[in-house]
Amino acid sequence: MPILSLLIFLPLLATALILALPTRYKSSYKYIALIFTAIQFVLAGICYANFDSAQTGIQDLAGYQFVEQLPWIRLDLGAIGKLEIDYLIGIDGISMPLLLLSALVMLMAIGASWKIQKSPKGYFALLMVLNMAVMGIFCALDFFLFYLFYEVMLLPLYFLIGIWGGARREYAAIKFFLYTLFGSVFMLLIIVGLYFSVINPLTGAHTFNMIYMMNPENYLGESIFAWDGYQEILGISARLVGFIVLFFAFAIKVPIVPLHTWLPDAHVEAPTPVSIILAGILLKIGGYGIIRICYSIFPDMAALSNWWLGLIGVVSIIYGALNALSQKDLKRMIAYSSVSHMGFVLLGIASMTAEGISGAMFQMISHGFLSAALFFLVGVLYDRVHDRNIYSFRGLAQIMPKYTGYVAVAFFASLGLPGFSAFIGEAFVIIGSFNATSIGTGLPRWMAIAGSIGILLSAAYLLWTLQRMFFGQIRLKGGESWGTALTDLSVREQLILFPTLALALLLGIMPDLVFSNLNASVLNLVSIIQQFI
Amino acid sequence: MDQIAHISPILTALLTVSAPLLAFLYQVVRGKRDQSGIISLIAITISFVCGGLTWLSIWNKPTISIQLAWFTIGKSTFTVGLLLNNLSTLMLLLVPTVALPVHIYSRAYMSGDRGVHRYWMYLSLFCFAMLGLVIMDSLLLMYIFWELVGFASYLLIGFWFTRAAAAQANKKAFLVNRIGDLGFLIGLAIIFAQFKTLSLVDLFGEGGLIYQCVLINGQWVSPVNSMDQIWLTLAGLAFFLAAMAKSAQFPLHVWLPDAMEGPTSVSSLIHAATMVAAGVFLLATVFPLFNDSALLFIAIIGTITAASAAYFALGQYDIKRILAFSTISQLGFMMVGIGIGTWDAALFHLTTHAFFKCLLFLSAGAVIHEMVHLKEHSRLDFDPQDLRNMGGLKKYMPKTFILMSLASLALAGFPLTSGYLSKDSIVISSFEWALSKGGLYFIIPICLIMVSILTAFYIGRLLFKAFFGEFRLLGQLQEGLQNHPLHEAPKTMLIPMFFLGLCCLFPVFSPNPLSYHDSWLMDGLLLDEYTFAPSHLAHLVIPLLLLSGSIIGWIIGWKWYVHHKYPLDPDSGIQKTAFHQGYINEFYERLFVNGTLKLAQFCYWFDRHVVDALVALVRFIVLTVSQWSVWIDKYIVDGFVNTVASAAYWAGNQVRLVQNGKLQTALYSVFLLVLLGLIYLIFF
Amino acid sequence: MITLTHFLVVSACIFCIGLYTVLSKKNAIMILVGIELMINAAILNFVAFGKYDKISYGGQIFGLFAIVLAAAAVAVGLAIVLNVYRHYQTINPDEINELKDK
Repeated sequence: MPILSLLIFLPLLATALILALPTRYKSSYKYIALIFTAIQFVLAGICYANFDSAQTGIQDLAGYQFVEQLPWIRLDLGAIGKLEIDYLIGIDGISMPLLLLSALVMLMAIGASWKIQKSPKGYFALLMVLNMAVMGIFCALDFFLFYLFYEVMLLPLYFLIGIWGGARREYAAIKFFLYTLFGSVFMLLIIVGLYFSVINPLTGAHTFNMIYMMNPENYLGESIFAWDGYQEILGISARLVGFIVLFFAFAIKVPIVPLHTWLPDAHVEAPTPVSIILAGILLKIGGYGIIRICYSIFPDMAALSNWWLGLIGVVSIIYGALNALSQKDLKRMIAYSSVSHMGFVLLGIASMTAEGISGAMFQMISHGFLSAALFFLVGVLYDRVHDRNIYSFRGLAQIMPKYTGYVAVAFFASLGLPGFSAFIGEAFVIIGSFNATSIGTGLPRWMAIAGSIGILLSAAYLLWTLQRMFFGQIRLKGGESWGTALTDLSVREQLILFPTLALALLLGIMPDLVFSNLNASVLNLVSIIQQFI
Repeated sequence: MDQIAHISPILTALLTVSAPLLAFLYQVVRGKRDQSGIISLIAITISFVCGGLTWLSIWNKPTISIQLAWFTIGKSTFTVGLLLNNLSTLMLLLVPTVALPVHIYSRAYMSGDRGVHRYWMYLSLFCFAMLGLVIMDSLLLMYIFWELVGFASYLLIGFWFTRAAAAQANKKAFLVNRIGDLGFLIGLAIIFAQFKTLSLVDLFGEGGLIYQCVLINGQWVSPVNSMDQIWLTLAGLAFFLAAMAKSAQFPLHVWLPDAMEGPTSVSSLIHAATMVAAGVFLLATVFPLFNDSALLFIAIIGTITAASAAYFALGQYDIKRILAFSTISQLGFMMVGIGIGTWDAALFHLTTHAFFKCLLFLSAGAVIHEMVHLKEHSRLDFDPQDLRNMGGLKKYMPKTFILMSLASLALAGFPLTSGYLSKDSIVISSFEWALSKGGLYFIIPICLIMVSILTAFYIGRLLFKAFFGEFRLLGQLQEGLQNHPLHEAPKTMLIPMFFLGLCCLFPVFSPNPLSYHDSWLMDGLLLDEYTFAPSHLAHLVIPLLLLSGSIIGWIIGWKWYVHHKYPLDPDSGIQKTAFHQGYINEFYERLFVNGTLKLAQFCYWFDRHVVDALVALVRFIVLTVSQWSVWIDKYIVDGFVNTVASAAYWAGNQVRLVQNGKLQTALYSVFLLVLLGLIYLIFF
Repeated sequence: MITLTHFLVVSACIFCIGLYTVLSKKNAIMILVGIELMINAAILNFVAFGKYDKISYGGQIFGLFAIVLAAAAVAVGLAIVLNVYRHYQTINPDEINELKDK
């Protein structure tokens, strides 16, 4: 069974179905979306269950699982050579957890879209297209295919923010679109460069196959990205330029300081489900891209520039946390906290230790559903009174005890309370980056220590919010009418939140559920990079 | 048979830890339906019994440990395991022994509260976390329980969350504890980097990795790795930072007085007997890691803490705050015990202190309980915790008075009490330690002696003000209430207090009331060697000095507070400073809290006006360039095309004039053409 | 001695006068006169160049021929002028511009 193809293209079927159904049946759209996403989730679960954790992946196609390879585009371009684009998909330890996470977050997003009134047809159709693109990104092993999915993803997001968003939605949508496009356009240049540098050893044709790109032997001696590094662009080694450009393309997605300003705007203006997808999946694509592409194709340059990567990570952690501390808008605060938490991912990746990279992966997964839960919780409040200002609420614990319980658990989970998944992620990023000096990756120990300050700050802003909004005597900006509007969580909302937070707890107690699948791939990646340190 | 003997302590230890967890989970599920707390009580009783069994089978017998693989990252496998040795089983016994009376007491103290189901839930969670902390074999797991303890205390401090002060206090407690947690995490990272394992058995066990380390050429070399020597000191300091926050050491002690916003029963359990002890326990566990400079630092901080907290205690009027500062002060003593290398003495003091401090809090709780009732009945508005509203209580609550006095004597280190033994062990050891070092090191024992006398004085002040003299509110009360404004505490509260009172006496710990060396506890933890020689003189002089100092203090206190011959000005700077806790809170508020907030605001300003402005600038530049190119397109590129077109148009228009239908014009042009033709033929 | 050049000069003068008349006069009759002058200038040239054909006198014969043709052309021209006059009530060529496309 071509399980990955099914996973990717099922949503397209859903899109077709939704578009084909006349508007009379518009109440059925969400059920179609839900059913298809649920099937996807089951499929992803099957992938997880059948995953062989001993396989290494990364630069070895044999180490990938559920591989599907079909020749897709074959063109003889005469003097330039033959064009060779494959439909090549497969997963290894790096992509598998993210695939499952995406399916879960999508399910949450559909659940959060239950009350969408504004043209549900377009909404759910776009959501399903987005779903397809996301799944495709995590599975694609052909750079061309990857890029295709990567760009396809932008389109539905642009419309989802631009049409279903808040007051300044157009501004936010364009800002988001341009930022991401800016990164990916330059990425295209590098892709072409790589294409002309790499040769499929079997056919002798140039190829977009990422696996071949990871093997130094497949590079042409005179080509632009040849491993000897004597090719230069603007006086800098061409490979370094390639690495930097690809890194920034993905780093915009992560996002790093100072390329993060699209994130608060996009999050604040986007409707709740899109915020969930943005925080839960999109940011992870950045981290995934850095590991899968930047580090695997340019391990030599990764080893060269990890000091800067670590610095960017640390700056993101602290700067994002400080920004979150001064927010008055709850959603914006959580958006900035995402910047801070994703900084850990970068720091962990930069450490180049197995602990650090595993910690970064774990942090991505944990942040994936925790931030989704946080945005969902903000959405709950916004649905009821259309206000997100922290200062408009006080003493909510007495009106909405269940809600407060969930918020408290989500807050403590994301501030890294042990027992929850975020702790494992952050602790091992810190431990890994601290350990980095011992294996000589050039990441100084003070970065680990500075990163840990982010943990303190995240406790500060989350607890401050908790105290300000939920504790104390009841005082609401909207007075009596708000008191009645602020009903406690509904069954549907609890149905979405409970599994998420339970998962956070489960992964916090049994991190092996993720680590065991990661290990082989991460060790392989580390050993690849180790050669260049 | 042999196997069973090995397994059973582990089973009992597991049961000890898991009983409160199960109670917690059960109560989470049950929610509001279960208000009685009977489940928690049963759980802690099981813990008490199992903890006792574990202790019996482990004490003074070989260490038992068990490890199971938990998860693997890269090549390192992290284990989950139990470590049962004298130290951990002592704590495993101590925690439920203190917690059980508190549970019983809480049944009466907390009854009728609206959120009491949460209270029992949190209390069970706390007991689970604390018990887990003491028997875990891995530093990582210890860290997990360490933070869980902090989390449970966050919940308990903020139990009355509708009070703004409680909500502030629990946030403060958690954040200050977080600072310590960072220390722990960094310590953890250093240990992991150096040894590639976090298992306590591997690290600190018999012949563990930590003993195989050597210092060569300024390098700290372990069998696995080596790093600069400074990291050894830093590792020690990092763990001490963790202990500083949790055990409320200066300057991170600020959370503990505020934590008194929680119910008194919570204060007695968490903020006196167990949670704050976790720091001392941690330091005792990782003790072999400390080098001389780290130890000296610990001793100095401990001394400063002991002295400053005793000073602040003198200026307080809130009965719970006085006790809170006395806790901090006693924790300072324990830290000095660690710092001078006698962590057995520190643990001894920790154990005795747990009982008498718990009793002090429970007695104070009984008083507050009655004062609150009085407040409700009389409809007067007064602070039920303020000493200035009390006085003469021994007439109404004689049993509470006797128990509290007993605990106070133990705190003051009066002979025949447990406090005498343990406090002397620290003070005398510190004196011997100073003797071996000489010079400035004597400051520490001298400070400790003075602080001990101060301790006797401030606890005496509390007793005199609260229990002696006349009840100060008597005049304001209605007729009916004047005869019996307050009552003795109910039996459910008195019985646990009585039990704790028993534990404050010397026979529980040592057959010899005057020498701590005979204590079974010190025997069990006995260190192989002290770094200093014992001094017989100290054993004689110091107890006498302390005793006479305390008695003089009490006589002065009696005169001042009972006979109202207070000679000092209560508005003087020294007293005000003590009342305001040395203005440390204000200082932190200004410097750190406001500083961080200012920084955060600046960052946000920076984000809006610099980072985002850069984006806006790029946008502006792109727009300007595009406007230019529009202009160029319109006037230059397009202009050229238009010029060509209009030139052709113009030329056509000109030629068109010829075709005006007039014969002669036609002829004229024919002529001209012919002429041009001729000219061409002739000249070219 | 009157050379060929004298003839040619006279002929050119007559032609130019004729041309000028044709181009500038505002009377159709005068234009006809101008045309006649130009034809006569051409005939003069024929006759003058006839000296090179002393055997068949081609020049003179062609001159005669042209005179006859010119007389016929003048007759036709006058007839057109008369018709134009009848139609437009003028023989000023400036006012007759129907050749122009509308």
